[in-house]
Amino acid sequence: MLKAFPKDKLTAVLDTLAKQATLWVPSVVASVSRFAPYGPDREVQLGANTVMSPKEALFPATEKIYEYSAYGIDGEFTPVDPSVGPQILFGLRSCDMQGILCLDDVFLTRGYVDDYYAKKREEATLVTLGCVTPGPDCFCYAMGVNPAEHEASDAQLFDLGDAYGIVARTAKGEALVSALAAAGLLVESNKAPLPTGDFVLKVDAEGITEKLQHMFDHPLWDAFSRKCLNCGACAYICPTCHCFDISDKKRNAHCGVKIKCWDTCMYAEYALMAGGHNPRPSKKERVRQRFMHKLRYFPERYGKLQCTGCGRCIAKCPVNLEITDVIQQVREAKIDG
Amino acid sequence: MANPTNNVNAANPQPVATLDDVKRINPLVPMKARVTRIIEETSDVKTFCVSTIGEDGQPVAPFRTGPGQLAMLSLAGVGEAMFSATDAPDHLQISIKKVGLLTEQLHEICEGQTVGIRGPYGNGFDMEAMKGKNVLFIGGGIGLAPVRSVVRYCVDHREDYGNLHLIYGARTYDDLVFKYDLFETWPKVPDFKVSVTVDKGDDNWKGNVGFVPAFIEQLHPSPENTVCILCGPPIMIKFTLGVLNKLGFKPENVITTLEMRMKCGIGKCGRCNIGSCFVCLDGPVFSLAQLKMLPNEY
Ligand SMILES: Cc1cc2nc3c(=O)[nH]c(=O)nc-3n(C[C@H](O)[C@H](O)[C@H](O)COP(=O)(O)OP(=O)(O)OC[C@H]3O[C@@H](n4cnc5c(N)ncnc54)[C@H](O)[C@@H]3O)c2cc1C
Ligand code: SF4
Ligand code: SF4
Ligand code: FES
Repeated sequence: MLKAFPKDKLTAVLDTLAKQATLWVPSVVASVSRFAPYGPDREVQLGANTVMSPKEALFPATEKIYEYSAYGIDGEFTPVDPSVGPQILFGLRSCDMQGILCLDDVFLTRGYVDDYYAKKREEATLVTLGCVTPGPDCFCYAMGVNPAEHEASDAQLFDLGDAYGIVARTAKGEALVSALAAAGLLVESNKAPLPTGDFVLKVDAEGITEKLQHMFDHPLWDAFSRKCLNCGACAYICPTCHCFDISDKKRNAHCGVKIKCWDTCMYAEYALMAGGHNPRPSKKERVRQRFMHKLRYFPERYGKLQCTGCGRCIAKCPVNLEITDVIQQVREAKIDG
Repeated sequence: MANPTNNVNAANPQPVATLDDVKRINPLVPMKARVTRIIEETSDVKTFCVSTIGEDGQPVAPFRTGPGQLAMLSLAGVGEAMFSATDAPDHLQISIKKVGLLTEQLHEICEGQTVGIRGPYGNGFDMEAMKGKNVLFIGGGIGLAPVRSVVRYCVDHREDYGNLHLIYGARTYDDLVFKYDLFETWPKVPDFKVSVTVDKGDDNWKGNVGFVPAFIEQLHPSPENTVCILCGPPIMIKFTLGVLNKLGFKPENVITTLEMRMKCGIGKCGRCNIGSCFVCLDGPVFSLAQLKMLPNEY
């Protein structure tokens, strides 16, 4: 038997959760589909994944890190509290949960913790939703992600047809399920979760990391990069891309705030150094960096691919520079020497 | 004042920084510190001594750094950049070349100025592994800054290392940094040979004229039981490596530092990524053998 709530109780469920925390739900805001705080007029879209990834709940596009002031020779630095209070991310797909695990690796391991991410992550309860109908650009299965459920979430939702089954996996998940039970919203169901449908997009990423270890100088990078516009759209919508800039936002001559904001290796200025030296001077090096990082460097460093197969960059790249095509061509490429 | 190099209180009667400032709040937020002394090295290089205030009210180094480690220095409202740091009990020393916006503004500040400082970052040189060996230091221009922290360590622990030899070059005599070390302190250290060259001679200079790589060839230092520490502009490094190779230095015994643009300093922002390494964490110190395993993208 599975704990469940009938689909027509979804609003009541969300209303209950929204009383406990900032509740992020997949929806459409100003014609962009994204995770957004739940409210009375918010239309929830559980049928398809969002265009913008949910990473912004834990790693905002721009975020204050500290305030500074400078009067004459005297200055002050005042940290900004990284806490945003309890948050619930509701209806995450497995691919996006996997994306958060990639962010966890970056921001929480290797000697230093990024407090701004860590605090939000600690305060967040992640509720994943099993996929029934993969989208036309989805290929998470090929990146080792199980679309039906993700074991790292706090609570897992299953589509039972007329109801959503819910299983708690952590203490945070238990608390969430108990709150729904206390509100009288849960029933028992003996229905099985609907199976995940077929993937339209077929790709095989087996052995891609090892293959790329021998392809730094391969002519394929010239071919791939030729059409790239370096617009950076792929990085901004990606659930795993984590690069950020640290810059000043002046209020006036004396004070301002230091902000951490999304950035991408697709931009020419990204690696530009004093004196004009740029280790990645042309599109070729930048496109290579993007795919090498996702498919080779990240797995070498953190033991997992930095692409979750969410398909967002495939859907949104203006020139169809598709990561599945890159994977395919890399697999087929001949390596000489 | 206990420390003669510190004239903060003379310049500014207020306390230089509070106890709370010294506490490291989180790795992205700088702590407040003061520039207690500025040494003019050349027309475009200045050395800044940076202190916070310790529990006893005396200036202290904001944190201790090992040879080759880094600190992120910021000027409120202007920006922040990474520099190699050398420490003394009461301050960190950072030598900065004027190359752009932030560094130009830093060159304008006066003693007593508040700056932000965070660190220490980077792996630093493995001084244990170098024990018992001769050390050949090679520096070019401002590249002597990271090398100097190693030189100082070797001089302070003289008995742990064999013969020391520094080969250093700059464009002209006026561009030589740390002249007091080069011509006064280090030549007095036992078994420490200091060889200096300039690209272009002038009336101030009686010594060798010529580029560093050619000078090395001329001095032909022995690779026998010797570790080479090499820092300088990319073009000098490139030609020097050729010479070292000819002299018989093995890639694992040639150690250098990499410079990539940096923002976070803690392996998060992605900026200094080369292959599966982040220069701010896994570097900036790499042996030539390690570099050969990284993609050639620096
Ligand atoms: C590991 C490491 C150790 C270093 N040690 C020293 C040292 O001991 N002494 C020293 O003088 N310098 C050192 N540097 C270099 C120093 O960080 C740069 O020179 C400085 O960041 C650029 O100064 P700026 O902000 O004044 O230049 P800017 O005004 O910012 O810019 C000048 C040019 O550099 C580019 N640039 C912008 N921001 C940066 C940035 N953060 N880093 C590099 N280039 C940038 C700009 O695009 C522009 O073309 C070190 C750098 C690294 C990575
Ligand atoms: S690289 Fe593309 S498909 Fe992979 S996780 Fe990022 S946006 Fe999704
Ligand atoms: S790959 Fe596509 S989305 Fe990404 S920067 Fe290039 S053109 Fe833009
Ligand atoms: S400076 Fe941010 S990762 Fe190295």
